[in-house]
Amino acid sequence: MTLEGSAIDVPCSMRHPRGIVTIEQTQVGGKVVLRVAGRMDAETAIQFEQHCDSCIAEGFTNLIVDLCDLTYISSMGLRSFVATAKKLRDKGGELRICRLTGLVRQVFELTRLDKVFPLHDSVESALMEG
Amino acid sequence: MPETPQTLTVVARAESLGPVTEFVRKGAREANLPQARVRELELLIEEIFINVSRYSYPESAPGVVTITYSVPAPGELAVEVGDQGIAFDPLAASPPDLTLDLMQRPIGGLGILLLKSFARLVTYRREQGWNRLKLTISANP
Repeated sequence: MTLEGSAIDVPCSMRHPRGIVTIEQTQVGGKVVLRVAGRMDAETAIQFEQHCDSCIAEGFTNLIVDLCDLTYISSMGLRSFVATAKKLRDKGGELRICRLTGLVRQVFELTRLDKVFPLHDSVESALMEG
Repeated sequence: MPETPQTLTVVARAESLGPVTEFVRKGAREANLPQARVRELELLIEEIFINVSRYSYPESAPGVVTITYSVPAPGELAVEVGDQGIAFDPLAASPPDLTLDLMQRPIGGLGILLLKSFARLVTYRREQGWNRLKLTISANP
């Protein structure tokens, strides 16, 4: 599940099959970058949370989530982000979010979660801060 | 464009969300809504439907939910979600405190905020034992 390598900001693609969330994981030093693509809704949000739980169980406490290919998020998706961030904070870690776009950015802004999570314009920036 | 409203009836369980979403997408196509409005529509319907499926009926005895759409004018879609569960007007619910920091924030509770934020026109009525929540989405916001 864990891939060694460097995380780079590959271009965002706006198309993704509906009703699916995919998660690509890259490990950079002691941090994990998760590139989440597709839709996070009531059916798929749990997959993201379970994936994060696995990372935490492996001992990772700093997660960077790249959302440039996420096209949709509902309140059930937001729950997964808040729940995961709380678990990480309890362990002295952090959940950082990169490259919000479109509806997903709107949803984070309306709920003011853009003020709660550290936001970054690039994965590199998140890696340097974290 | 159908001349009469189209209705889908499903069991009020989270697993029904897929068919419900597909159904309103069909309405969105008939109304010629642009993709950005379709995503907002999907979000609104999910928030309403998940709320009903989780809270409206007793867990041991889920009832039904009806989704009805119509195209009152080109570029406009009206959707009504009905259930026979406990009376609940989501539009009257207290707003969440968005000033709290991460550790003080509850994990959930943002769905109704999103519903109120995205719907251009949402109305609730309780009618003969039914909750009826109606929203309208226009191609041009």
